[in-house]
Amino acid sequence: MALFELQNVSKHFGGLQVVSNLSLAVEQGEIVSLIGPNGAGKTTVLNLITGLYAPDAGKIVFDGRSIAGKDVHQITRLGIARTFQNLRLFLNMSIIENVMSAAYARTSANWFQIILRTPGFWKEEQHIRAVAEQKLAFFGERLVGYRFEQPAYSLSYANRRRLEIARALMTEPKLLLLDEPAAGMNPKETQEVTELIGKLRDELGLTIILIEHDMGVVGGISDRVIALDHGEKIAEGSFEAVATDPLVIEAYLGRNENMVRK
Amino acid sequence: MSQNKIGVDQWVEQYDQRVNKAKGLQGFIARTSQRLPPWGWLIVLVAVGALLPVITQNNFAIRIAGNIALMGTLALGLNVVVGYAGLLDLGFVAFYGIGAYTYAYLSSDFSGVHLPTWVSLPIIIVISALFGLVLGSPSLRLLGDYLAIVTLGFGQIFVQLMTSLTRVSLPGHERPVDLTGGPNGIINLDKLSLFGFTARTVTDHYLILLVVLAVALLVIYHLNRSRIGRAWRALREDELAAEAMGMPTRRLKLQAFAIGAAVAGFSGALFAGWQGSVFPANFDTTLLISVYAIIVLGGLGSLPGVVVGSIVMVAAPDILRDVTLAGTLFYVGVLVTLIGAIRPRWQTALLIGLVVVFGVIVRLIVGALDAQALAEPQLSNSLITNTVRSWLIIPVNATIIGNYAFGLLILMVLGVSRIKHSVWRLAALVPTLYVLIFVWETRLSQEPSVTRLLFVGVLLIVLMIYRPNGLLGQKRVEIV
Repeated sequence: MALFELQNVSKHFGGLQVVSNLSLAVEQGEIVSLIGPNGAGKTTVLNLITGLYAPDAGKIVFDGRSIAGKDVHQITRLGIARTFQNLRLFLNMSIIENVMSAAYARTSANWFQIILRTPGFWKEEQHIRAVAEQKLAFFGERLVGYRFEQPAYSLSYANRRRLEIARALMTEPKLLLLDEPAAGMNPKETQEVTELIGKLRDELGLTIILIEHDMGVVGGISDRVIALDHGEKIAEGSFEAVATDPLVIEAYLGRNENMVRK
Repeated sequence: MSQNKIGVDQWVEQYDQRVNKAKGLQGFIARTSQRLPPWGWLIVLVAVGALLPVITQNNFAIRIAGNIALMGTLALGLNVVVGYAGLLDLGFVAFYGIGAYTYAYLSSDFSGVHLPTWVSLPIIIVISALFGLVLGSPSLRLLGDYLAIVTLGFGQIFVQLMTSLTRVSLPGHERPVDLTGGPNGIINLDKLSLFGFTARTVTDHYLILLVVLAVALLVIYHLNRSRIGRAWRALREDELAAEAMGMPTRRLKLQAFAIGAAVAGFSGALFAGWQGSVFPANFDTTLLISVYAIIVLGGLGSLPGVVVGSIVMVAAPDILRDVTLAGTLFYVGVLVTLIGAIRPRWQTALLIGLVVVFGVIVRLIVGALDAQALAEPQLSNSLITNTVRSWLIIPVNATIIGNYAFGLLILMVLGVSRIKHSVWRLAALVPTLYVLIFVWETRLSQEPSVTRLLFVGVLLIVLMIYRPNGLLGQKRVEIV
């Protein structure tokens, strides 16, 4: 059985049908890329999965459970984490706190324990700290050491993207949704991100859904590619198959006839 | 110097080494403040605070200190709601009032109930927290400015209810019942009594309030440094991202409202017990503004900032009642500002010298033209004031000329701030400073009741310009 499934999901905003009758399934350990032109509904699909929007119709099943209509934080607790297309870090908090804050759903210290600083509180706090440092160490030396206590706004753009991934990892997800992780990165950094996504799957056993415009990244790591246009699935399969699909080419470049000079 | 590493900010990385190497007093202070743990600061605060009644028997000073501790505790509660959770709650003072009125109901002849304070305080905390939840829940869907307006409404409703619930028809009563005492409030409340100890003197109240402040600081520091505190601040930074990272934002907001209300209610009860009475006018917008000024001045979200903010905001208006003290503060303030704002230092000295010469010349000219226009300066018991007044010209009709000079001063300050060239600015500062001193001596020092508020206003403006994040606040960014 698939880890994650969308069954005939639709969503409209007013008169605009953003996602229509979309079905897709993701297996455990798979890396699936969503591609499509701007406005195709890719981010809306992510927002539907994470519970920011409730679907108008259809079912969303994760780990054998229907999650449509649940609160965003409940879905995160079940094991779906995401990053955002336009970085949404907690800019005025330190780097380590950005990551530690995401452990909220996995920790349990109550008011009593926190105010009295019981041994249980300290144990949990030290555990969170250690795990957070470990998540940040995943990105090499960039986010460790003296950086821990630096505010997040002091980071460069690429490091902010890395920090956002570390923060998402801290929620201990089974399914990780990455919304354009390579946006705004230079070729070398893009290459690094590609390797990183592979590492996330291989070393942490994550299942990953990826939205990306950089076809180098998409082609480099995707097990399967799904192309969307106007909220509908127009192609699905290996990168090569989807990239050469006439419907996909049409969605990106327009119809062939229009290109022909009279 | 070690080899530069790419992507490593060495200035930041080697901060500790620099502090350790720093020499002299500055280095000592930097090292001590860095090494002293938070509880160390708390002990220093309580120890210094507890010394005050030993040093002085002056009830006025101890009363101010007690007010500082009380306002500090109240501001701590607001700091949780606004500083951590980022909820702009303008109805906060209502919880202070709810705590105060609950104390009045539980410990006075008005209701006939006389609970000792240590019994009534837990009840008051719970009731205030419940009100926090009740008033917080309709506000959950509101963001930013809208929340501010709605909660402002709550605050006003509280004051109105307390003022007007004087003739309420209740079932079982033939005549309308007075629930709140109306504008005349509830008087003759019981003294604060904790485990057999009854607070009678100003010092008793002060010590209780000092301990309460310390405990509140500790509790809120602990809450801040925990999963809940981190979640509150995450909520403030980005509500959507916080929710997506697994934090139940609605529950967290309610918790922030509740703890803020509980702290406010607690301090309200102590306030009522100290004052011995409660009136609706105690909980009006003036108090709200003061509390906000404390946390903004100290730095939003900073606990030491709350303490420093309440010291400044409570002590300043009271200390400035004393004309001599206000005069000294004024001249010291001007001097410190000049030393701080003008570099290199010799320019400061030159400027002060020029102002003195300018004053002497003005005095000579005016004296030569019309010696009768000058009044005898009224001498006070302050050395600085006497020196200045024998140097300055004090016209016979000082009040009217002082008013015009005040207008002129504002124009001059605006003019000076527009001048870019340093030499011209220095030159323009000479008459400006002269007029400033003139206005102070002829008008401001004559009307301390107005001046002290002006003073606080100017203090706030200057501080906010030079330290937009508050005295002890961290630098913050909005959108980057």
